[in-house]
Amino acid sequence: MDSALQPQDIGGPGTPPIVLLRGIAKYFPGVIANADVDLEVRRGEIHALLGENGAGKSTLMNILTGIYQPDAGEIIIDGYAATFASPVAAIAAGIGMVHQHFKLVQAFTVAENVHLGWSETPRRASASQLEARTRALAERFNLDVRPDARVSDLSAGEQQRVEILRVLARQARVLILDEPTAVLTPAEARELFKALREFRARGNAVIFISHKLDEVLEISDRISILRGGRKVSTEDTAECSHRMLATLMVGREIVLGNYRNRATQAQAPRASALSLAGVSALDDNGRPALREVDLDVRAGEILGIAGVAGNGQRELSQVLTGLRPITGGQVLVDGKVVRSLDPTTFAGLGIGHIPEDRLRSGIAPSLSITDNAVLREYEDAPVSHGPLYRPRAAVGLARTIAGAAGVAVPDFGMPIRNLSGGNQQRLVARREMRIARKLLVAAYPSRGLDVGAINTMLRYFVELRDAAVAVVLISEELDELLNLSDRIAVIYEGRIMGTFNTEDADMETIGLLMGGQRQATHAPLHMTS
Amino acid sequence: MTWRFQRFPSAPAGAALASRIAAIVLALAVGGVVLAFTGVNPIPLAGEVVRSTFGSGFGLEDLGLLMTPLMLTGLAVAVTLRIGIWNIGADGQFYMGALCAAAVGLFVKGPEPLMLVAMAVAGLAGGALWILVPTLARAYADVNELITTLLLNFVATLIVYYVATGPWHERGVMTLGSTPRIRYQLPEFFGSVHYGFLLAILAAVVMAAVLAFTKWGYEVRFSGANPQAARFAGIPVRRRIIVAMLVSGAIAGAAGMLEVAGTVHRLQGGISNNFGYLGIMVAVLARGSCLGVIATAALMAIILNSGIILQTRGINTNTVLAITGLILFFTAIGDEFAHYRLVTTDGKGK
Amino acid sequence: MDVVTGIMATAFLAGGVLALAALGEVLAERVGVVNLGVEGLMAMGAITAIAVVTAAPNPFLGFAVALAVGLLLGVMFAIATVYWQANQVLCGLALTLMGTGLAGAIGRSYSGLPARATFERVVVPYLSDIPVVGRAFFSQNILVYLIYLVLPFAIHYLMFKTRHGLNMRAVGENPAAADAAGIPVQAIRFWYVAAGAALAAGAGAYLTLAFVPGWSEGVIAGRGWIAVALVIFAGYRPWNAVLAALLFGVITSIGFVGQARNWPVAPALLSTLPYLGTIAFIIVPVLAWHKIRRRMAAPAALGLPYFRDMR
Repeated sequence: MDSALQPQDIGGPGTPPIVLLRGIAKYFPGVIANADVDLEVRRGEIHALLGENGAGKSTLMNILTGIYQPDAGEIIIDGYAATFASPVAAIAAGIGMVHQHFKLVQAFTVAENVHLGWSETPRRASASQLEARTRALAERFNLDVRPDARVSDLSAGEQQRVEILRVLARQARVLILDEPTAVLTPAEARELFKALREFRARGNAVIFISHKLDEVLEISDRISILRGGRKVSTEDTAECSHRMLATLMVGREIVLGNYRNRATQAQAPRASALSLAGVSALDDNGRPALREVDLDVRAGEILGIAGVAGNGQRELSQVLTGLRPITGGQVLVDGKVVRSLDPTTFAGLGIGHIPEDRLRSGIAPSLSITDNAVLREYEDAPVSHGPLYRPRAAVGLARTIAGAAGVAVPDFGMPIRNLSGGNQQRLVARREMRIARKLLVAAYPSRGLDVGAINTMLRYFVELRDAAVAVVLISEELDELLNLSDRIAVIYEGRIMGTFNTEDADMETIGLLMGGQRQATHAPLHMTS
Repeated sequence: MTWRFQRFPSAPAGAALASRIAAIVLALAVGGVVLAFTGVNPIPLAGEVVRSTFGSGFGLEDLGLLMTPLMLTGLAVAVTLRIGIWNIGADGQFYMGALCAAAVGLFVKGPEPLMLVAMAVAGLAGGALWILVPTLARAYADVNELITTLLLNFVATLIVYYVATGPWHERGVMTLGSTPRIRYQLPEFFGSVHYGFLLAILAAVVMAAVLAFTKWGYEVRFSGANPQAARFAGIPVRRRIIVAMLVSGAIAGAAGMLEVAGTVHRLQGGISNNFGYLGIMVAVLARGSCLGVIATAALMAIILNSGIILQTRGINTNTVLAITGLILFFTAIGDEFAHYRLVTTDGKGK
Repeated sequence: MDVVTGIMATAFLAGGVLALAALGEVLAERVGVVNLGVEGLMAMGAITAIAVVTAAPNPFLGFAVALAVGLLLGVMFAIATVYWQANQVLCGLALTLMGTGLAGAIGRSYSGLPARATFERVVVPYLSDIPVVGRAFFSQNILVYLIYLVLPFAIHYLMFKTRHGLNMRAVGENPAAADAAGIPVQAIRFWYVAAGAALAAGAGAYLTLAFVPGWSEGVIAGRGWIAVALVIFAGYRPWNAVLAALLFGVITSIGFVGQARNWPVAPALLSTLPYLGTIAFIIVPVLAWHKIRRRMAAPAALGLPYFRDMR
């Protein structure tokens, strides 16, 4: 349902759109990434590309920037057909992209990254020359970067600024941003939006990829919705609402479920399942990651941990599951201090863990589905008797887990990497749930999953909660946390800034705390310890 | 309807096997062409190789004698290959195993069965000791084991050369680098093929069983496939990897002991006929499978034996080494190609 | 010549082999490709040089043809590993086996014979009169000046002071980022790997035309592997690699002196010194220098294949 085209102020009537994609298609093994997608981006507009994970947004943009080749369709820039055989061609056409996972060389400095692959870089260039040029560019585009800093030392927000500077320096007229606010605090996001509006005012275009309805409604002029690799429609933002967009994204009328309704009566007070008392820990580089954290997780509740990624969530989930040693404080389970902090002890105490980075920590991609399914229970009967491991019993267990996860497995002996990400995550979740008699720690469980898989995941957590198991949910999706958790704790730079009952919480306060600010409100906060 | 090759994350076993066979055939063909260029007619040569190898008892005996060390060095490399570690030092571990076994055999007196067991233990220990430093460097300092194990090969060769031409040299005899004959020898069961052959097969079966049917085996496999995930589940990755590497070294050392006690009966300068390096080939062709090593060791033995036969026709054994390299090269390429499958895109995907 | 000058002179000469091979490997590894075929490439370069020089007694021609042979083999290796994405370790081992085998087969008729033409000394006036260093360094053959001065300077300047060098290093660190920035990743990998292979073959030619000189079976004796190890030890930097090679040359030289002067250690055991030294060189710094780790770190994408169009 296309809205009637309105004449644009910039460029006058009849000006061709700056980017026009017609009938774009792209296939990967077993997956239709894009099929018959049309997209029209005009000058002087911020055009949002909305869709859930796996809808095909990133793929489409990778085609526009020359990283992928379309299997069908055409790309038309300023009215002329174009083929981008490689990223060089797209850059030359004025298309610049800031990827979700930054394409920066970690070992290089900011200046070196800005000048990478750029024809305007002088042939003979010393480090100081590049830094001076970078400083000039930063001033010109009003972006705050440190030219001589090593990228691996920068925060995510700073790295994003470097990426944007790189793109702007190459005279981009179309700026594509892929989920840019995932790594920003609310304040940094506002700064970004300001910069985007300035960019638009100069007659350029922005393609803003997101799955967050709020942002999309705030910043864009028009919204194109992708679902299952196809474009559903393009709407004027002014005529859109939350519910309408959500329905278009998912394809059916969804009730934004209130998971907080309980199957059984809530009994208060609930016993403490696990608590951290003044716990401090270092990160992999030896820097303080957790600072005197006090946290109490109670049986039969879902505790959400809100915060911008990189503020200690990873280390927190590792401390909660025995994967990281602590440098101070105590970890108590059922009120008793845990002496040996190792994963086996914690698993034995009934603590499961859905790790943030499933591919690196949760599974061995090259091993079979069976091997991965029994990772937590291989030492016990029926899988093992004494030193002996019984493959047949292992397959049986794997079957049980796959059945509970609703994953159809043709061959349990095939490497688990052959399964889709969503199926892998479902198996890992079910595997961990089986041992989570007391507590399940889930770190960013919805990352990279489509709505179907996400819903399954969230229902699992509700299942556990109703069975009086505690769940710690670490997520960057504030709406998910508000929807699901009983209480929310905000983490910033390794400290817990505050813990709230969800019914009393408001986004504004939480947003401020996520950014590290303690604010004064007119109404007293209901803080729970 | 468009056809296209698409890369899939895994290569099915059938494709991998087919690509290996193709690699071997292609390499032999190239070798044959090169030989033809140098004026040698490859076809009758091939026929003669086949006849000599399979057509006589001696030929089969030679195969058995070659297979024994190859099965074990191949097994040694396969065990580590499964866990993502390159034990390129199998040759050096072979030499040290042979040296330690020879030391026992030459200087300790006792009843033969007991002495053979002692030599076996010495061989296992020698091999394990020789991989110890690279193992610890890898486990504690994350130093790549490929280079460290390989450099030790050269050191081992020099040490064995030194003792065989120096302190342990057979006095009064003009042979260049050899110790006196060791009086304890493994009994034979088929011509000159000794029980080491059966022991090697047994070792392969046992290792396969251990990896598949024990908790330890599961943990080792997981540690090698993804150490971070293994640690996530509380598996003591470092310990498992250390033991697995030491076992690998010990197996290679045992190969050396069997060669000394069963085939050559002396410690000589060149006692390893590149068995360690060829073991890498054996393991790679078998895709790291402990049982598969038996088959690929047989194949490698045939190739080696052909080299020996070719030598009698004036063709350098180095040619065999080169052809082996070519097989490895084509296998590596083929393994990658085996990931690709033909897919059709018909507008609806799939 | 006093002992020290003698040792240093031999050290420069001996180290030259390792230095040239290491410089070649630096080029390959800096763009993210591990080339373990150096040993085989050196063998092929060595025998090619001898064969050419026996036919036409011009060492420069021998060296040049060896470089060409190395380039050709490098192209073969690069096609397999860069374009076809075959496993780099296996292809490298295969190249070593092929090269060593083929060179051994060809080398039969040349074994033990002295090289018909070698690189003669070129004495630099004035500079060669400096005590110790002058005699040791400035009275060597021309390849030594090339290897120790010209090449490392050129490579260092290229890699760290030019636009091209920046792009090239990015390919080894993060090929996805380089690709997105418009850098031709595959082409750069291909040419640098081939060039590195050519240098490795050149190192073999240097061995048989300047160091030994002459061919015999097993003459390479693992120097290719030592060169690969040296690159790690040198933090993938050209000047460091050349210095490390020189250090090796000193160890080897001391071993020779020991043999000549009948030290109580057997020559075979003295020969183990370079290998043991290399192992120590790889292990010890890792333990001792935690801070230097970052500066000497391997290119982040070393050994990993790059697929652009992969989900």
